[in-house]
Amino acid sequence: MEDNLFKIAERTADKLGVGYFEIRISKVKTTSVLIQNDQLDELSNNVEMGIGVRAFKKGWGFSSANDLSKAEEVIKTAMKMAGLSRGPEKIYLGDPIRDSVSNLGEKRLDDVDISEKLEVTGKAAELLRGENVKNRIAGYGESIIETLYLNSLGSEIRTVTSRVRLRIASTAFEGGKTGEYWKSFGGTGGWELIERIELERWADFVSRKARELLRAKAPPSGKFEVIMDPELTGVFIHEAVGHAAEADAVKNGESIFAGRLGEKIGAEELNVVDDPTLPGKFGSYAYDDEGLPGKRVEIIKNGVLNEYLNDRETSALLNLIPNGHGRAQSYAHQPLVRMSNTFIEAGTWEPEEIFEEVKYGLYMIGDKGGEVDVATGTFTFGAKEGYIVENGELKVHLRDVSLSGNLVEVLRSIKAIGRDVKIHFPGYCGKGQWVPVDDGGPHVLTEALVGGR
Amino acid sequence: MEAVERLAGILDKRNVEWEIYWEEGKSASFRIERERIERAQWKFYSGIGLRVGLNGRVGFSYVTGLDHDEKSLFELVKRAEKLARIGSRPFRGFPTREKFPRVRGLYDKSIDDLDFDEAHSLAGEFVERMREMRGERGEYTLAGAMSFGTVRAGIVNSNGIEGEEPRTGLAIWAYAVKKNSRSGSGYASQSYTTLEGVHEGEELIRRAMNEAESSQRAEKIEGFSGEVLLEPQVVEALVYLFLENLYGDSVYYSRSRFSVGDLGKSVLSGNVSIIDDPTLGFSPGSYSFDGEGVPGRRKVLISRGELRSFLLDHTYGKLLGLDSTGNALRDFRSIPRIGTGNVLVGRGSENLGDWSGVVVSKVFGEHTANPVTGDFSLTVELGYVVENGEATPFSGNMVSGNVFEALGSVSRVGKELERRGSFYSPRIVTEVRLV
Repeated sequence: MEDNLFKIAERTADKLGVGYFEIRISKVKTTSVLIQNDQLDELSNNVEMGIGVRAFKKGWGFSSANDLSKAEEVIKTAMKMAGLSRGPEKIYLGDPIRDSVSNLGEKRLDDVDISEKLEVTGKAAELLRGENVKNRIAGYGESIIETLYLNSLGSEIRTVTSRVRLRIASTAFEGGKTGEYWKSFGGTGGWELIERIELERWADFVSRKARELLRAKAPPSGKFEVIMDPELTGVFIHEAVGHAAEADAVKNGESIFAGRLGEKIGAEELNVVDDPTLPGKFGSYAYDDEGLPGKRVEIIKNGVLNEYLNDRETSALLNLIPNGHGRAQSYAHQPLVRMSNTFIEAGTWEPEEIFEEVKYGLYMIGDKGGEVDVATGTFTFGAKEGYIVENGELKVHLRDVSLSGNLVEVLRSIKAIGRDVKIHFPGYCGKGQWVPVDDGGPHVLTEALVGGR
Repeated sequence: MEAVERLAGILDKRNVEWEIYWEEGKSASFRIERERIERAQWKFYSGIGLRVGLNGRVGFSYVTGLDHDEKSLFELVKRAEKLARIGSRPFRGFPTREKFPRVRGLYDKSIDDLDFDEAHSLAGEFVERMREMRGERGEYTLAGAMSFGTVRAGIVNSNGIEGEEPRTGLAIWAYAVKKNSRSGSGYASQSYTTLEGVHEGEELIRRAMNEAESSQRAEKIEGFSGEVLLEPQVVEALVYLFLENLYGDSVYYSRSRFSVGDLGKSVLSGNVSIIDDPTLGFSPGSYSFDGEGVPGRRKVLISRGELRSFLLDHTYGKLLGLDSTGNALRDFRSIPRIGTGNVLVGRGSENLGDWSGVVVSKVFGEHTANPVTGDFSLTVELGYVVENGEATPFSGNMVSGNVFEALGSVSRVGKELERRGSFYSPRIVTEVRLV
């Protein structure tokens, strides 16, 4: 079938003067299990196939269908649409790549029966039981995606990748107060990623935290010295630096980082990296959705803005070396410049030394999501919990802590970067489309605005 | 629909309860960057979602496409049945047939009939407006998008429900960045069910540019606690945070502050009423039947501060001893989930044009807030301090508080409703803390 489609595409491209096209045909198998309290809330197991075609003439045209009988129509439509757009003059083409990559882990997910997945999720929900814990959630999700990527240069890349994620969450109620905590596990690979989770330990941890948060206080408000734990460092660097370093925002003149390559923007010790080649992480991939190999990018090197994340279009336009960061949510989406696994590299501080540095400040822990305006550099993100730090010691426990700041100011205010890097916080990043990512880093000391009561 | 009839035929011969939900749709969108259409796309999608009820349990599976032979449909049935057998998702049967309301303006043939060139030319006119409005002002960069969509959705179940409805949509957004020594940004968007919306493109560009201009001048202001005027975008953030407590599944699984016993109690300020109404004409949140074939109906959720109704689908309605409110939302890939149609905050009697003090216009970071405790701290993207009739923009502060307290201490409500997609709200005055 693919040979035939490729021939149709070549003929149509010739006829319509389309210089470049690419075809992605995917087979997507997903399984999800959601258990709330002891009730099964969702159980699904599906397979779908679809095609997405992108064509470049003087701009991009894209079309997709989840019904392969429409493949020919999709090819023609994408090429006609390309003729209607007026975008960039050129894109990076490069040499054709022929490769086949399988990343299914040690124990293939489709070799494990759904009843076992149901059982593990059920056990996780059960283990979350505890005093005052009124709501327990365990959610399991997996995807196995087989993609054939073809382009007009002659690239033919076959990939098969599986990703898996387990999330556990507890909500405790007592006397009108509530406390909520959760934790996610997972990565790119197979069932072994689930088997390695110490479920008892983590379920106990999550429910205990939910209970402890019942007694936690609302945070103070104002500008404080803030120590971020590795998980919060991850969301900070993803939101504050990663999005602004996406070359599409730079190209459009929207990013605060536009035109600032080579400029010193943070402490000498600050190194920020995005690396899709890390083995087994949730945001890892061998090839992006434009058929280019994913490469490690040093966004900030020794405090200097060093490199943007780019794709075929922005690398050509901004004269950058392509680094394979064009990612799409699925065959039905156009690739956009996206992050993969983003983190701050290890600094020289022991975590204890960082705490000793703080006379009065906040220790903020965990990722509750964030958002950034890349034009102004204003960002906000939430932490799952926090502590007041006095003379290096943890004092009052805090809940519902949100931080806000300006990217440039906060990067300049970084005073200490720990040695203790952790990158295992699998999640999804939204930019009109959702893609799996990971992020992290060490403990970091900076200054930010805290929104309290 | 041939595949649906064939599937119903297979299911009728088996000893199961069943529900088929199908969709067939297409969407076109044009993405604009730097006042040029850089990317155009046209997508087709269709599929069939099947729920099967078996011995008090339910299973769900779907197939993409509408063209299937007997064998592929039979496999779909087997998959759904297998999931029903191994799972134990609560199941209280499927709804029974009721009359659907007639909802005006869900479908506009002129959107459905658009071909590439016509759709492109409408987007082209929008881009042309951008170029004109930007003119020689090189400090502005404009971006945006225009999208058109049509979907035909249908439902059939073993209790005799049968419904089919075409719906159309148009969405437009504009984003402006203003640069000089510092940057400001502005964003405006709207969605419609008919093609008439294209005439508002210019107004959206103007709003985005005005906002970028204000945002560029905005500085952080001194924090305080007290009354502020919240514009509809901020009210929307707070109301949706609050509404998470009214979702039937949250109530059932104790993830809500409320239980069934709280119906009839006063939970918010007497100045606050909130209504969910999927039957409004020409509104993007409207439908005549929901994802389970229950008629869309208007319901008062909060009446003058009093909790009147939750948002329910058939299953959680039954589990709580209540009836579905017709709020099951879905596509063919998903089981029905509880959601809202059009949400309206009741208007008051004040014009609030004479407001002197702090106005918060736009916030972000809603998803970091906690709907159960209600505590929020949101970043102010844009606000104004109004003194002697003069408005000075500010931004970068955080607005924090508790949603139950903030909606519990609303002292004044404006008389004009603003529509933001499927959310309608006046401006309101309440107490929060600005950090």
